[in-house]
Amino acid sequence: MEETRFPQVFTNGALPAAIAEQLAAITTGYTPDPEHELQEPSYYDYPVLKAPVWRWEIIWYFFFGGLAAGCYVIASIAALFGSREDRIVARTGYYLSLLSLLPCPVLLTKDLGRPERFLHMLRIFKVKSPMSMGTWGLVSFSLFSGVTAVIQAARDGILGRWWAPRLLAALPQRLVAIPGSALGVFLGGYTGVLLTATSIPLWSRSKVLGAIFISSAVSTSSALISLVLHLTRAPVQVLHKLERLEWVALLVEMAGLFAFLRGTGRAARPLVGTAPTEHGRTFWSFVAGTGLALPWLLQTLSLLVGRSGNRRSGRGIVISLLVLMGGYFLRRTMIEAGHTSSADARTTLWNAKR
Amino acid sequence: MAIEPTQRTTTQGSSLRSMVSLLVGNKEPPLAPQAAMGFFTDTSLCIGCKACEIACKQWNQLPASDPVWTGSSYDNTGQLSATTWRHVQFIEHIGRRDMEDNGVGGDKAGTSLAPTIYEQAHEQEYSRGDPRGRPDIPFTAPGTTLPFFNSDRWLMQSDVCKHCANAPCQEACPTGAIIRTEFDTVYVQQDICNGCGYCVVACPFGVIARDEYGDRAAHKCTLCYDRLKDGFEPACAKACPTDSIQFGEVEQLKAQARERLGILQERGVKEARLYGVDDNILEGGLNSFFLLLDEPEIYNLPQNPQRPSNNVIPASFWTIVAAAVMGLFGILFFRE
Repeated sequence: MEETRFPQVFTNGALPAAIAEQLAAITTGYTPDPEHELQEPSYYDYPVLKAPVWRWEIIWYFFFGGLAAGCYVIASIAALFGSREDRIVARTGYYLSLLSLLPCPVLLTKDLGRPERFLHMLRIFKVKSPMSMGTWGLVSFSLFSGVTAVIQAARDGILGRWWAPRLLAALPQRLVAIPGSALGVFLGGYTGVLLTATSIPLWSRSKVLGAIFISSAVSTSSALISLVLHLTRAPVQVLHKLERLEWVALLVEMAGLFAFLRGTGRAARPLVGTAPTEHGRTFWSFVAGTGLALPWLLQTLSLLVGRSGNRRSGRGIVISLLVLMGGYFLRRTMIEAGHTSSADARTTLWNAKR
Repeated sequence: MAIEPTQRTTTQGSSLRSMVSLLVGNKEPPLAPQAAMGFFTDTSLCIGCKACEIACKQWNQLPASDPVWTGSSYDNTGQLSATTWRHVQFIEHIGRRDMEDNGVGGDKAGTSLAPTIYEQAHEQEYSRGDPRGRPDIPFTAPGTTLPFFNSDRWLMQSDVCKHCANAPCQEACPTGAIIRTEFDTVYVQQDICNGCGYCVVACPFGVIARDEYGDRAAHKCTLCYDRLKDGFEPACAKACPTDSIQFGEVEQLKAQARERLGILQERGVKEARLYGVDDNILEGGLNSFFLLLDEPEIYNLPQNPQRPSNNVIPASFWTIVAAAVMGLFGILFFRE
């Protein structure tokens, strides 16, 4: 992962190691005991597992896939349950969903060792393999996301006024949105399930990575939609609803992350520790700190203060950007720390004792 | 795709099936199942000659990897990889043990496994296995004599794909490239694999790997599928000069392994144990199993790895719970 790493100056300056170590010990309930762990047998510390082959393509796929899924689900909730005013959320959400979806197949194909064989993914339908299910989920979700966005475009008059858009506009978008949302939830969460169904200790020990990824999908998506709505000066009431949903999603995400760290314990070291190969500094600074806790606190503040007119743009945009950044770094540190985790022979062997 | 008239008559049963066959061709009938075949790698017989590594490379036409000086042992292969399907480990524990003075029980791994005729004749006089009790072997400081005569330990193991009964790589594979053959071995179809890399992280033994310098597809031991087809034993088993690598029907080999374990334990090698013979590992055991002379961790083998596919249901459950919570709040907020 060297090519995707931050310059050292940046990451080193991010957070003092002592604070990160304290946080790591509190959240994981585990304090490293090098003296004892060095006694544990292994074969000269050669890795037990092979390192994952997944790199920046997968990190960005997880990010965009989460946005595509979350935007669709939020848009559908707004379309199905919202008032007339909320249609702007549905419209923005459906467009953003399709836009975020576009890079996904490209990234996934590029990630393959043999990109020209990407269609081999569609040879079989294997319930046991989250990647097989994910491929089918992505293909079917693309269909729904595409159809919904096209209907939206026809209704918005973007496609002109001839017979085809009129026909499309008459299609029942809300009916399409129901199975589409179910597939959206699948797309937003399966990536975490996929990582859990591996032998990498960090990813597989606790079983809540899917919950973290789906809540991150919702939080980043509501951040993206509200960012666009802030920039286009949408009504305050509509934004307020989105902000409350974002607040809940961030809360669920933080709870999930805490459960993840508790459940993973020692195997979470690559994610939270501060050794040179570990990713704790980035994690605590850009995921847990400025990516989750800070925007959540800011959001709490602005929800408590109420909706006075002038503050909404500035603070809202900052919160949205922070949440989006946190969502990206969550996926990035999780994948990079998985590489570190695969190389730790003693923790892998410890993880296999049960 | 042209379909022969004779084939068309066989697929008339279901219109859907015939349509599928028209598109992708007829599905080949599965091959007649044969007896499950596997390896029994008896590490107590391994002398670390690496003939298995070389035979494997030669038969399977795998490129040589540059030998590196690891600095920790005679192992210069390091690990199994996409182009190394047998890997001989050298576990050297020198000056390791001073605490067992009576020599009965405990770790006998490094000492002579088979009692000599002299020993057998004078069993009463000597606490077997402890060189310090033998008048014919002068006491020497640890690390200064040959491993055969002192307590220093030099274990060797020829590591290989375990051909798990429930293979995580096969369960993970989204293309169907990884299959079970008619010999119940796990095999990667090279024309199907698209190098997605999911098997690499699924394998709990770090066996299967993507060939980053070659065709970028996943590779691992095939248990010499081509040789099996022609009734030959795999190249490594054929080349092994001490029969440390044995090949045969899994059930028969497992009986052999248990018998061998009995012999070793009877002779005082209490630390000897089998790995992957019973059905504990990955809920079905391994078709390629081992006799080890110490705990599995010494050989970098996970004691009881979880089966990755078992995580799908709990992970999905928590995902749905999180989604339901957020969905309910979303509906609540937008309904107002």
